[in-house]
Amino acid sequence: MISDRVKSNLKQTFSESLLPKLGLLLLVSIVFMAIFAPVLATHDPTRTGHYSDQGTAYPPLGQDLTTQIAQDGDIVEVTVEPTSEHILGTNNVGQDVYSRFLYGARVSLIVGLLGTSMALAIGVPFGLVAGYYGGRVDDAMMRIADIMLAFPALVLALALIGVFGQTPIQVPDPIVLAGLADGMPESIPIPGMVTLVVALVTWVWFARVARGEALSIRNEEYVKAAKSFGTSDRTILLKHVLPNSLTPIIVLATIQVAVIILLEASLAYLGFSGTTLSWGYEIERGQDYLRTRPWISMLPGIGIVLAVISVNLLGDWFRDALDPNIEGEGR
Amino acid sequence: MTMGKFLIRRLLQGIFVIWGVITIMFGLRAVSPGDPATLMLGEGATQELIEHVREQEGLNEPIYVQYFDYLQGMVVGDFGYSWISNREVEAMVIERIPATVELAVAATVVAIVIAIPLGVISATRRNESADYGATLFSLLGISTPNFWLGLMLILILGVWAGIFPTGRRPVGFAEAVMTLVQHGSLYDLGIWLQYITLPALTLGTYFTALITRLTRSGMVDELGKPYVTASRAKGLPSVLVRYKHVLRNTMIPIITVLGLQMGTLLGGAVITETVFNWPGLGLRLIDALNARDWPLMQGIVVFIAIAFVSINIIVDSLYTYLNPQVREE
Amino acid sequence: MKGANRRSIDRRTLLKLTGAAGATAGLGTIAGCLDDPDADEDDDADELTITLSQFPDTIDPLDHITGDYFDVYDHIYEPLFDFEPGEGIFSRVVDDWEIQEGEGVTELYLRDDVVFHNGDDLTAEDIAWTIERTVDPDMGVVSDIGSFGLGSIEGAEALDDTTVAVEYGAAPGLAEFEFGNYARAINREWAIENHDAENEAISGADAEDFNGTGPYEVVDFTSGEEIVLERFDNYWGDEPPFERVTFNADGESSGRVNSLETEETDLTINILPEDVATVQDADGVEIRRVTSFRNIFCPMKNTVEPFDSQEFRQAMNYAVDNESIVDEILSGYGEARGQPVAPGINGFNDDIEPYEQDLGTAESLVEESGYGDMDIELTVPQGRYLNDAEVGETVADQIDQLDNVNCDANIVDFGVVSDANSAGVDPDTIEIPFYLIGWGTITGDTDYGVQGFFTIPDNEARTFDDEELSDAILESQQIEDPDERREQLEDVNELAHEKAPFLFLHTQESIYGVREDIQWEPREDETVYIWGMDT
Repeated sequence: MISDRVKSNLKQTFSESLLPKLGLLLLVSIVFMAIFAPVLATHDPTRTGHYSDQGTAYPPLGQDLTTQIAQDGDIVEVTVEPTSEHILGTNNVGQDVYSRFLYGARVSLIVGLLGTSMALAIGVPFGLVAGYYGGRVDDAMMRIADIMLAFPALVLALALIGVFGQTPIQVPDPIVLAGLADGMPESIPIPGMVTLVVALVTWVWFARVARGEALSIRNEEYVKAAKSFGTSDRTILLKHVLPNSLTPIIVLATIQVAVIILLEASLAYLGFSGTTLSWGYEIERGQDYLRTRPWISMLPGIGIVLAVISVNLLGDWFRDALDPNIEGEGR
Repeated sequence: MTMGKFLIRRLLQGIFVIWGVITIMFGLRAVSPGDPATLMLGEGATQELIEHVREQEGLNEPIYVQYFDYLQGMVVGDFGYSWISNREVEAMVIERIPATVELAVAATVVAIVIAIPLGVISATRRNESADYGATLFSLLGISTPNFWLGLMLILILGVWAGIFPTGRRPVGFAEAVMTLVQHGSLYDLGIWLQYITLPALTLGTYFTALITRLTRSGMVDELGKPYVTASRAKGLPSVLVRYKHVLRNTMIPIITVLGLQMGTLLGGAVITETVFNWPGLGLRLIDALNARDWPLMQGIVVFIAIAFVSINIIVDSLYTYLNPQVREE
Repeated sequence: MKGANRRSIDRRTLLKLTGAAGATAGLGTIAGCLDDPDADEDDDADELTITLSQFPDTIDPLDHITGDYFDVYDHIYEPLFDFEPGEGIFSRVVDDWEIQEGEGVTELYLRDDVVFHNGDDLTAEDIAWTIERTVDPDMGVVSDIGSFGLGSIEGAEALDDTTVAVEYGAAPGLAEFEFGNYARAINREWAIENHDAENEAISGADAEDFNGTGPYEVVDFTSGEEIVLERFDNYWGDEPPFERVTFNADGESSGRVNSLETEETDLTINILPEDVATVQDADGVEIRRVTSFRNIFCPMKNTVEPFDSQEFRQAMNYAVDNESIVDEILSGYGEARGQPVAPGINGFNDDIEPYEQDLGTAESLVEESGYGDMDIELTVPQGRYLNDAEVGETVADQIDQLDNVNCDANIVDFGVVSDANSAGVDPDTIEIPFYLIGWGTITGDTDYGVQGFFTIPDNEARTFDDEELSDAILESQQIEDPDERREQLEDVNELAHEKAPFLFLHTQESIYGVREDIQWEPREDETVYIWGMDT
């Protein structure tokens, strides 16, 4: 379990360095932004058609946009001025960029947290069993893990989503249900398949860490003692092995949230997101407009970087405080 | 365990892993929705033709027969024919390897050239501004999605500053070297270098960040060890100690991690190649995926798995060779 | 001599690039000793580079129905006829032809001086064989495009060295439109030789593997990257305008525009409206455009709810503002449409106006249909048509604005949509009943725009199940008098407008970026003929 020593270590590291504080502050802001997106947003993020009179999207405040359109058979040049209605402008389908930025945080965080939880749920029991029993069981299970590792995560994820589709699950938005926001979408699209897939391609890291811990613990005196009293394996795993493996698993989980946010963004960028409200999808959408309207791609990218940095800072904090030696996959 | 036994064991494990990857790909294809014959033929195929193709492709056979046919093909290196181009998958994979290797090597070079000095400076000037700068850089590096980084590099260095070209590359490395040999001209190599710079930076940034971190923490550990203090006491110049012994000892874990991260590098190459329209394996994989060209997809994934497993065996063997005590585990 | 002579970057480009890079010391010094080995060659005048959006990665011209592929193949394996959009077919390899009244047969008379790139003479046998392989799967060397492209053509037979008899099951007028499209000549012996029995396809990846009768022959081929053509010396017809033509591909519009700006390419297709300004502002290149034969629409399969209701389908049409989509999403590069085909197509009905957006009517029609408060999903491909994902997302959102319908857009890869389109109308197997797709009526006849979607007999892949519409089309196929047939097709379009098997959207424009000094007018059927160019 989490001991007092660990807690004091965490506290000490937190007070010594600026970085954990920064990470926590960032993360809290992003979580706040994600939860209250319907309240903070100025427009329904899926509503299209916010165009200027010239029929083109708005630039962000402080920037004029000159472009050319076809009119009565000719190509004419028009200049579009920004409007305070859309402080960060609108994208190529006339959706409010600022509102979409807020909603994008939801998908990133939901997939990051849910995906990590699922990966934990698959990987930890798998690793504990392998490590605790050792021998042939361990061998067989670790070879399965090796197979998973031989696929680059992105490649496996692409193959799986290609096969199983990507339709999102619509979950009612509690903030809108509570009547806190008017005119916002009533449901949150959760890319369920993407979440499952990112869990399927990352669980093996948890399995490896859990196995390592179980291997080192199983020969400890108290485990041997418990065994000699006839305690069942299940009880030993749950009561002794798991609690003692928690520290490195928590550290890994934090890092994996960051990894999964990046993975989701990459998948969405390649067109496998299930929802258009994802930051990665928005970057892809803006790619064709990079020269003329760079803000469409720029803003969601900054969102991803901030979210991932905040989680990584927390991960570093945990690692420094708890000092386990673990490896995790980048992306 | 002797080195020979160790190698044989790792090879057997590797073969098992590759078999697993092959089988998973077969399974995915078997359960994927959509009739493969329809997928192959695309819009507007007649029923008659679809039936013909089903027969021809052995799709009317029981699933286990299809599996063994497929496995048999893989063993003798017959990956089948691409549905997009009707060409042999092996040829389509092989012709794309150079571009990906060029990119991966360039990215690794970028990473090592930037990261090791940065890590050393960071470790030897702990808590000075250079250290903070390096820490911030590596934090950004591991936190930035590489496709976005690529787009931003295109925008800033390509479109706005006009320093680097951003279209598809006109010349590959082999061809550039040919020009040098045949005409004694560096012209093509110059072009090649201009085109590979942005993709290499994009793919290399994550590794630069990772190696910077590893170098820093490795150096910090080593510098605290008794032999360093002892050498200093003996009056050896600290620069010599730092580079000769400390850095060498730091390198071993870095090389190991780099080997383990090859999968990540290849995964990163897929997306970097997509951003830059770089004619490598990754771009071909995305093309295959979009066209749902299963044989080609399988061929590329299995090839990547083989590459990954081989590299890991090499890295493991090197590591074991360098650290004999590991073998005992 | 592979590679040594090809150059898609010229000296000017290099100077431009290194000039800018001169700021960085390393590249600057290299620039001094860089020397383009091809610099003394006069490259620009007689060379042309065309950048497509998809690379044709097969040597069999009858393997894929994709516009980009034909842009290349038309020059290697030339079409048998010259087809002029809106005018009909004219002699080319086929010198003359004669309809055998009442027999369902047309005799084609070939030129006698046509040779293949490998030196073989073209014979009637080659052409009969080429047609047969698209209609008869038991031929051995089967063509993947199947009989779709050849419509009512049922078979062909060589009568002597220069005469081919083509059989068809429809009116000769229709068959003529169909000849104009996919009929081309492949060398029979060569094809059988290159045919890989195990693979059941004609395959290869070397320059010599291509063998047609076109004005250009292949001299270099790098799979997925570029294909280089040179004038074929023994071509029977006029010498084409460029000695050497290179085709390459870039999937991103911005990448194609970049290549045009840096003079790495001379002509590129499928420019997005967004990039028009960039091309217009660049030196020496310009935008050329034409309203294409390609309509964009959303089929609604009427064997599943709620699309089995005509009121509901009409409501979808009233919910969407076609004009605003054209003006805003396409920046004006298109025309709103209310029927399956584009203007200029035989049978296009001038009297049909697009459905005008009317939310009130749409909502009451939904009420009448009995499908109030439905959740529907529009499946939309990405990167296939002009701003397709954006169009689809807007359509879904406009439908979603109806009080009694919820609609979401699902953006997918084109393959998914293509499958949905050929999945047929069996209600038990339909997964995607409502999707966005585009169709180019490249034969220039309404039949090609409606037959595959609406006719019932022998058409598993139809998207709409309606006897009346099907019968009207079948009837038109048997009418021999051209004027009468055109009137019948106009009625078919009228009927399609009313029954609303599609949510009609627009006809898109083809936008090209071209070097200013190349004289060339884009064509409605999306083909790019080099022989139609001049400098």
